[in-house]
Amino acid sequence: MALTLALRYLLGRRLRTGLTTLAIAIGVMVLFGTGIYIPTMLEAFQRNLRATAGQVDVTITHRTGAAFTARRTEKFLRIAGVRALAGSIERTLNLPPEFYGRDVRVGALLLLGVDPAAAAALRDYRLVSGRFLQAADGSAAVIAQSLADALQLKVDGMLPVPTPAGVVKLRVVGVLAGRALAGNEQVFLPLRLAQKLFDMPDRITVIEANLVENDDVQRAAALQAIEAQLGKELQLGALGAGSEFMAAMQTSQIAFYLIGFLALLMGGFIIFNTFRTIVAERRRDIGMLRTIGASRRAIIGLLLAESLLQGVIGTSAGLALGYGLGRAITTGGAGILRQYLNLEMGALVIEPGLLATTITLGVGVSLLSGLLPAWGASRLTPLAALRPAALAPQQVGRTGTLLGATLIAASLLMLLSGRFALLALGGLLFFIGLVLASPALVQPVAAAFSVLVAQLFAREGTGELARGNLTRHPGRAAITASATMVGLAIVVGAGGLIFSLNESMLVLFRKSMGSDFLLVPPSIAVWKGDVGASEALANKIRAVPGVAALSTLRYAQTSMPARAGSGLPDIAVSLLGIDPAAYFSVSSMDFNAGTAELAAAALARNERNLIINGILAAQTGLQSGDTVALSTPEGQQDYRVVAVGGDVLSAKITTAYVSQALLRQDFHKREDIFYQVNLTATADAAAAGRWLAKITGEYPQFRLVVGREYLAEFSKQFDAVFAGTYLLLALLSLPSLIAILNTLAIGVIERTREIGMLRAIGATRRQMSRTIVAEALLLAALGTALGILAGLYLGYVMVAGISASGIFRMQYTFPLAGVLAAAAAGLLFGVLAALVPMRQAARMQIIAALRYE
Amino acid sequence: MPATVVIQAQDLSRVHGTGDTAITALDGVNLSVAQGEFVAVMGPSGCGKSTLLHLLGGLDAPSRGSVLFEGQPVHKLSDDAITQLRRRKIGYIFQFFNLIPVLTAVENAALPLVLDGIAPAVARSKAAALLERVGLGGRLKSRPDQLSAGQQQRVAIARALVAEPALVLADEPTGNLDTQASQEIAALLQQMARDWGRSVLMVTHDARVAAHADRVVFLRDGRIAQETVLERNAADNQALLAGLITAAA
Repeated sequence: MALTLALRYLLGRRLRTGLTTLAIAIGVMVLFGTGIYIPTMLEAFQRNLRATAGQVDVTITHRTGAAFTARRTEKFLRIAGVRALAGSIERTLNLPPEFYGRDVRVGALLLLGVDPAAAAALRDYRLVSGRFLQAADGSAAVIAQSLADALQLKVDGMLPVPTPAGVVKLRVVGVLAGRALAGNEQVFLPLRLAQKLFDMPDRITVIEANLVENDDVQRAAALQAIEAQLGKELQLGALGAGSEFMAAMQTSQIAFYLIGFLALLMGGFIIFNTFRTIVAERRRDIGMLRTIGASRRAIIGLLLAESLLQGVIGTSAGLALGYGLGRAITTGGAGILRQYLNLEMGALVIEPGLLATTITLGVGVSLLSGLLPAWGASRLTPLAALRPAALAPQQVGRTGTLLGATLIAASLLMLLSGRFALLALGGLLFFIGLVLASPALVQPVAAAFSVLVAQLFAREGTGELARGNLTRHPGRAAITASATMVGLAIVVGAGGLIFSLNESMLVLFRKSMGSDFLLVPPSIAVWKGDVGASEALANKIRAVPGVAALSTLRYAQTSMPARAGSGLPDIAVSLLGIDPAAYFSVSSMDFNAGTAELAAAALARNERNLIINGILAAQTGLQSGDTVALSTPEGQQDYRVVAVGGDVLSAKITTAYVSQALLRQDFHKREDIFYQVNLTATADAAAAGRWLAKITGEYPQFRLVVGREYLAEFSKQFDAVFAGTYLLLALLSLPSLIAILNTLAIGVIERTREIGMLRAIGATRRQMSRTIVAEALLLAALGTALGILAGLYLGYVMVAGISASGIFRMQYTFPLAGVLAAAAAGLLFGVLAALVPMRQAARMQIIAALRYE
Repeated sequence: MPATVVIQAQDLSRVHGTGDTAITALDGVNLSVAQGEFVAVMGPSGCGKSTLLHLLGGLDAPSRGSVLFEGQPVHKLSDDAITQLRRRKIGYIFQFFNLIPVLTAVENAALPLVLDGIAPAVARSKAAALLERVGLGGRLKSRPDQLSAGQQQRVAIARALVAEPALVLADEPTGNLDTQASQEIAALLQQMARDWGRSVLMVTHDARVAAHADRVVFLRDGRIAQETVLERNAADNQALLAGLITAAA
């Protein structure tokens, strides 16, 4: 019965039901949609960098994923119970777009350098044609059938592969059935050849082993012996996939979840307000039900059934919309990911945990929001419910106002502290303070705005009447204004953050990427899969007429301990090798601690010095002058932090910078993966560009871009991402429209008799409409004013907080566009929300209204 | 054998407010209604009619005195017990019908049973039988807005009877109806008492409606001013009541 009644009541007020349910749907949509996107992206990323695992009994890799000396296999070979063991190289090669032609969509290869003699004992290679690799093979390769089909290659065909020495052609000697593992297209080649092509002499990335069969005791003993021999650097298990990038993405995921949760909270606010309206509307129904014997529980059950239904419907709709949103973001962002990270997005990933959490939150928030009004309704005595509702003006609580004012004052003091934790706490206190103090603000704000509204629009005393109606229930007006405030504050606050971030990123971009030409690999910032080039390319570039300076980046993976006492595992770090003198002549960093000159001098010295970026400093707690143990292929080495600073590309990734000499010495890396070129003042830029293009043609893994164009391209992509994020956030302001509508509707219902009386003594329908619109505008003005205030504070706190945390230094930019958009949205919402209650009030039959109890 | 007393008011008083603003709505009323008896309560506005009804129905608590339902003091019961009493033993009829607008006639009439945990199908079948008895057999599926005022009040009567209560309390049941519908409803209430054995206590302003009762109690300033036992012939009673009302005024 409760469900039937709930359904009928909901259907009886379709518009309101739709709007209220939409509020929940929007929250669920944001939560679910963004919750799909990040895992989908991570899945694509993992697939891209996934190493071969499985099929063999044991896989051993370096903890950081780095290459290590092949001699490490020897101690494992001696272990009893190891049947077969060999070292190999696994390396993802990001391919530039259209490397294999316009219609071939192969974004990356997984290169597997294997020992031909040992390979057969480790894996069963099922060939469909040709043969497997042999010890005597030179530039030979065995490829998967899927790659052969994509490139229309057969045995004896030639497979071009980008290498640090330029493009190398491998002769296909065999084709394997299907694709052995999910992920990138696999290319097997002799280990020696792989070591030579990728400048990894005598090095491997993976040791694979098979143990004796059918003897569990000996297998266990062998595994134990292997574990004992691993040491500090090696680990059992496959190569990790860019954990520094994964960590950055997980941070984004938390931010998205937070936005989604805020959206849901607003939905809850709306449901709460709606149910207060419902209880007021159905006062007589509730009274009658109680009179004829409905228990308090039955009344609660009835209202909760309605909120449950709305929660279920809203959540279902939100899931469907969220799926669409996830798909839209994935599709919309695919171009950027392909261009900058060489990622091909696959099918959407919906994690069961996300689904369960979203459903629980969607339905749970709806139920919880309905609970308080339902409880209030159940406390109504039958007699009180049957009587006309009391319309005595509400008093503003002094305690709430005082507490609110105190919290606001405290938050303003915290703003001066400049400390991240205090700033974040201050932001929260400011919000709570505004919500608590807002009932006291209703009267003065309404008084100030009513003069304006009366002048512009509502004459003949209707403006005054509207103000009176609003201030009669300051608590209710404040709740509505708070809902509007939260929605608009997010828009204005996010606007502040986005404008500041955009501006600061562009400044940093100009600083660190402002060279005349750049050679860009397929994936920037997430360098692991990029194929660099040997010193030869740099030398060729230096020889180009007009080139004044060249700076290159080299890359290695490493890790360092997390903040002492945090109990967290080691942090994966992207280690970039720079030539200090060249780097700071072409590019620069933004320094939180230290200066470019001092950092360059420290890196140039023959010492283990490094610069760490802001996000790494925040995660490790390291400061300039501290010593940290870096994980190298040969063990840990102590490095000294000489500065805290970073460039634009690595702003979100835990990154450290060392000299290229040190990178070669400790990490055996000599490939250049990124180039910045500056010309002399008198150089012929066009001619230099043509020279560079010709040289780069031999290294198709790089794209030559003009600095100015790269900035424009970056700026455009940035704007697109920000516009998308902004649109998403703007969705959050929609529910506040519903909040205003509900409050107006409840006011009209409660004042039915009063409206009848006004009409009876001569008020026209038009005047009644104007009163309602004026009331709506006042309500919206209050919410908007609070929203802009809170939003500006929120934006400032976020910018100051991120800067204070050291993650990324930003200058606060006033979000004028955001403020104007919020003001316009607030006023528009006021007018839109007034439409339905206005019609109700204007169309009211005088006699019926006068009889209404 | 004397008829069983269903409800009894003993020295029933109700004061609203305190101190200087205290208003005595009911002042020491003693009244009992026997099984199958139809009692009408009349009096000018503000004389305490509705207060008496609310106290008898357990909707309000007395300031002094007590209400005994089938010998049991109502106001010593817990809120849940009073709620259950209303659900099972008392039927309510309101001036403005108070039907749930989104439910059909039969669903509205079945409400008390459904609230009591009876299976909806059983409750609806019982409600349908009662609607048949009050002349609405053909309008079971109609919503309140599809029914006339008189028909809506019949649905409310069916709702009041569906749980087979011992007592039906009616607060101005014809106050919102035209003359013909008022007479039909009054006759139905009379039938409820005489033929179906329910005790009925009705508050009304209308002498023509009160004329259908067995006994009329006149209230003035919160006290019983007069009690009159009526004849079985409603037409004769109307003249008698008209005289009494004039005299009471």
